[in-house]
Amino acid sequence: MRDAVRMTYGRIAGALGKTLAYLVMGVFAFMTVSPIIWLLVNSFKSNAEYRLSKLALPHDWAWVNYPGAWRIGEFDKLIGNSVIYTLGASLGIIIFSLLAGFAFAKIRSRATAPIYGSFVIGILLSIQSLMVPLFIEVSQLDKLLGDLFQALHLMKAADFHLFYNNRVGVLLVYIGSGLPVAIYLATEYIKSIPDALVEAARIDGAGYFAIFRGIILPMSVPIATTVAILNITGLWNEFALINILVSKTSLQSLPLGILRFSGTMMADYGKQFAALAIGMLPLLIFYLVFRRQITKGVAAGAIKG
Amino acid sequence: MARTAVYRRDEKRAYWAMVLPAFILYLFVMAFPIVISIILSLSNFNGGKMFGGEHWRITGFQQYAKLVADPQFWLALKNNVYIVLVSVFGQLPLGFVFAYLIYRRIVRFGDFWQGVLYMPAIISVIVLGIMWNMIFAPSGLIADIMNKWYASAFGHKLDAILRAAGGLNITDAFVHRVVDASDPVALQIFHDPFTELKDIIVAYTPGQLDVFRSDMVNLLSHKWSPDFLSKADVAMIPIMFVTLWCWTGLYLILFLANMQKIDVAIIEAARIDGAGEGQVMGHIVLPSLSGVIVNAAILCISGSLNSFALIWAMTGGGPARVTEVLSIYMYTNAFHGAPHYPLANAIALSIVVFSFILIGLTKLVEKRYGGRE
Repeated sequence: MRDAVRMTYGRIAGALGKTLAYLVMGVFAFMTVSPIIWLLVNSFKSNAEYRLSKLALPHDWAWVNYPGAWRIGEFDKLIGNSVIYTLGASLGIIIFSLLAGFAFAKIRSRATAPIYGSFVIGILLSIQSLMVPLFIEVSQLDKLLGDLFQALHLMKAADFHLFYNNRVGVLLVYIGSGLPVAIYLATEYIKSIPDALVEAARIDGAGYFAIFRGIILPMSVPIATTVAILNITGLWNEFALINILVSKTSLQSLPLGILRFSGTMMADYGKQFAALAIGMLPLLIFYLVFRRQITKGVAAGAIKG
Repeated sequence: MARTAVYRRDEKRAYWAMVLPAFILYLFVMAFPIVISIILSLSNFNGGKMFGGEHWRITGFQQYAKLVADPQFWLALKNNVYIVLVSVFGQLPLGFVFAYLIYRRIVRFGDFWQGVLYMPAIISVIVLGIMWNMIFAPSGLIADIMNKWYASAFGHKLDAILRAAGGLNITDAFVHRVVDASDPVALQIFHDPFTELKDIIVAYTPGQLDVFRSDMVNLLSHKWSPDFLSKADVAMIPIMFVTLWCWTGLYLILFLANMQKIDVAIIEAARIDGAGEGQVMGHIVLPSLSGVIVNAAILCISGSLNSFALIWAMTGGGPARVTEVLSIYMYTNAFHGAPHYPLANAIALSIVVFSFILIGLTKLVEKRYGGRE
């Protein structure tokens, strides 16, 4: 009898707890999604309609906001640049981190401890805090190299830009900033590949680069995928660094372009919302398609210290 | 013997060929900027050419003295501390609780909740910042909803008055009732509300009932203007809210992935022995995740201490610089108006030092209280 009463109480408490859990979860999920849906809905309103009511569904669906925003914001260029920066830098990060990771994990050297250690410390540094010195560094390097070329009568110093306002500069900075985490992940992963595999190939007379291509690279696909996912999502949205590296509109990435667009199109809300929607849709689709891989990659790559 | 020497040389060459490209890039992007910020924060260099151009020299620690004396620095630091606090004590616990609910299948469809809650973290913070600005702005969504609500409330009061008077029968009592129903702040435009309002009201003919009603609602209902993003003491609240909104899902994913590594048998055994969910959480899940939690805290501290883009897109540090955090304070000193490179570099260095101090403290807490895995 007493047991039965206890069971009932337990069941009621359990049901209450479950209801509460669903309630909390539901409220948060609603709060997460509703602003995003609100944004998408408003991207189909005319400016006048938005001013009239900011919450209602559009009366006449203003599809024209999209082509309009696309044209004014030059989104074809922005997306093209973002693709170049994201894919180029991710590829660079993967190659350099696997190479270095292989060397750190499988070739014995006294240099490994200090160099690998410095990369691990680098994980703790957030490069945004260094944007001002980084800007000074790249602009001074451009000036130095420009002076050099002018002295050699190759070109005028003022015309020379390798780092500032140049895609190369953006790519180099992006690669450098992504390396610490990537190298840590790659090194720890490659350490788990048996030494015997590498040694056997060495005895057969294979060079290290041949071993890298033939053994390490194929076996490192999972960690390369993780690094790729972390960097694709991170770099596509990157703002702080490119903001100081690029001022030319033709070199801007999507986040920079969207901020510029919203600054100049203050008065046209419909197009503004359309621009925001264009800005978030590529990664949202990427997320819907690769959700499992992204979730796994984020969990594996979220390391600091 | 000669063979091993060749072998060793070959090995060395391969090692450096593989390590150097990465190491040089790393030095270029992370190590040199730190060196530059140390040197420049002690100098008076303010643009131009560093080499073979302008004269500049080391001037000592005066930039740091300037920093400490600048009230704006302390405001930015305070705002930054708010962001760090809401991140560490908001995102982490919430993420943990959500992860636990999903992990223990207290809520079903865990995959769905996880997918939804992580969504903001995948979208550009620039897009999200602009979006939230449109929600919190003085003419934004929240103000719109509130003012529509006030207008309809006043409209209902007006309808009641009109019904009682049997239409637009303008008497002194009628005007008095309208004045009583009106918002005191809205009435402040009048010196003598009763007489002035009466003058206005008598101009309407009974046929203009709808016009009268909408004019009165516009004129006399309460107008709510949000000072979220304009008042110094509350301007950080929306930013803190959005910070929480944006990244809680990240920690949910992180904690959930690590909870799934816990041996299920231990939890099953504890449940059979009569342990409640609270005990399972406190005695099994929490201790086995202590290392992950410390890592998450470090990630969180370093990320929130450097938060820039979200706030930049949402408020730009404004209005009147009240929402500046350290990185924006640094940015404006370097790039807005005349450059103050030495000061900006001193700020950069202090951010780096702050993060290392906070991370060190976290590690210390871990050593002291954690590590019972």
